[in-house]
Amino acid sequence: MIKDITLGQFFPGNSLLHRLDPRIKIILTILFIAIVFLAKSTLSYLLVLAFTIALIIISGISFKTVLKSLKPIVFVLIITSALNIFWTVGDDLIFSFWIIDIYAEGVNFAILMVLRITSLLIGTSVLLTYTTSPIMLTDGLERLLAPLKAIKVPVHEFSLMMTIALRFIPTLIEETDKIMSAQKARGADFTTGSIISRAKALIPVLIPLFISSFRRADELATAMECRCYHGGDGRTKMNTPHLKVIDILTVSVFIVICVIIVMLNRFA
Amino acid sequence: MNAIELKNISYTYSRGTPFERLALDDVSVSFKAGIITGLMGHTGSGKSTLVRLFNGLEKPENGTVSIFGEDIWQKPKEIRKYRFKVGLVFQYPEYQLFEETVKEDISYGPKNMGLDNSEIDRRVRDAAELCRIDSALLEKSPFDLSGGEKRRVAIAGIMAMQPEILVLDEPAAGLDPRGREEIFDGIRDYKSSKNATVIIVSHSMEDMAKYSDEIAVMNNAKIYMHDTKEAVFKRAHELCEIGLDVPPIAYFSKELADLGLPVSESFYSVEACVDALDTLFNAN
Repeated sequence: MIKDITLGQFFPGNSLLHRLDPRIKIILTILFIAIVFLAKSTLSYLLVLAFTIALIIISGISFKTVLKSLKPIVFVLIITSALNIFWTVGDDLIFSFWIIDIYAEGVNFAILMVLRITSLLIGTSVLLTYTTSPIMLTDGLERLLAPLKAIKVPVHEFSLMMTIALRFIPTLIEETDKIMSAQKARGADFTTGSIISRAKALIPVLIPLFISSFRRADELATAMECRCYHGGDGRTKMNTPHLKVIDILTVSVFIVICVIIVMLNRFA
Repeated sequence: MNAIELKNISYTYSRGTPFERLALDDVSVSFKAGIITGLMGHTGSGKSTLVRLFNGLEKPENGTVSIFGEDIWQKPKEIRKYRFKVGLVFQYPEYQLFEETVKEDISYGPKNMGLDNSEIDRRVRDAAELCRIDSALLEKSPFDLSGGEKRRVAIAGIMAMQPEILVLDEPAAGLDPRGREEIFDGIRDYKSSKNATVIIVSHSMEDMAKYSDEIAVMNNAKIYMHDTKEAVFKRAHELCEIGLDVPPIAYFSKELADLGLPVSESFYSVEACVDALDTLFNAN
């Protein structure tokens, strides 16, 4: 069902990853991406894999939940590995039939690619979206981008827009689910028929959804105005996060792993 | 004959995630045909989940749901036919309106049933009349109506399918007393004119005292009581314990009895109270 979408969902918790400063977590995510792309040898890939698994364990999120979030990219994984297996030309021919030649290099490369994409997705979601509440996330982003205010980039407004957008994703999913059920109760059929008739069946869902979105936006704007919201100037935060020792330590660990990966690449 | 019969039903939300929550815990209950049953319970007791099982919007993890003796999950592909047998009106149904005119919106359900135009037209007028929708409103846009009118249009949209069982989830939530009355009177008229079975989910003991025949009370994902309304209101003390309340008038009736006044039997509606007081004054 529509509720099962876990991509980009926050799981409340109290793990080390949950407690890190959001700014640091954004930097860590960039470092993690660097680590994944730096890995070239099998050995360094194994380290990346181990590191990703370690991150999942530290986050305290169940493996089942994390693996479920990979569902949407299974198709991408299959296509990538198929391309690599069938189109890589190497020296070590291991299988040949009609016009299909499969080389050991291709298989090897396909496995590494799948590892790279999955660890990239799992690592970034565990580091950021699963363990950071949307408010913390945009707050961290705002503070990280604060220097851009000097060149008149409306950083606060952008982060507010993002906060609101993120905040309303679950609400909209819930609303869609509710309206779909209501129309199903009136005999709507979303699952059979031609593509055109299925698209038409969505009209009774989309129109109420649009109307309620506009209504919500309007109500939110009124509520904000009632509380004298007037933009970012002179606004202070209720909680200003300060960098802690643990934040610095974690960044150091990531940098060390980066260096180890580069070293491991040489020993391949 | 029971209109709806549930046997050993369990239902869990978001199974396998940190948000897992048991909504129904081995529930077995049956609803009699041809009467109005009130389904009560405080927020999160599982009422709304329960009604979503009646027409197959949700599939129970185990147990069976039977409508007039037929197991609705016998042939999962034909589940849609039960949507027309069990008309389900959701909470705040006015947010599901989408057509250009009120008339078009009410005909959405009957159209999905594949009825011919004259039959659709007849049913739309019939449902509009039951829901006290002025025929002048039929050609208007549903988005130009007042809140109470929208609600009645949405309910008419389900009534136009003429389901044998009509289930309403908080049909009068957020309406003023007059709006509530119009809606409940409409439901009662539907029941008597179509000889239908009605189940109403509600918080309001007063409304249920006035309109229902039997009352089922839910607590902690289970059915806690299920009896005639007289029997249920007699257990006021237990109702209070699970966060519900009996109608204020029922307390008044108890006070009178405690004072030793000759009140024939306990009452819980304003009309019955007036009658009882009348007899008291005449006796003195």
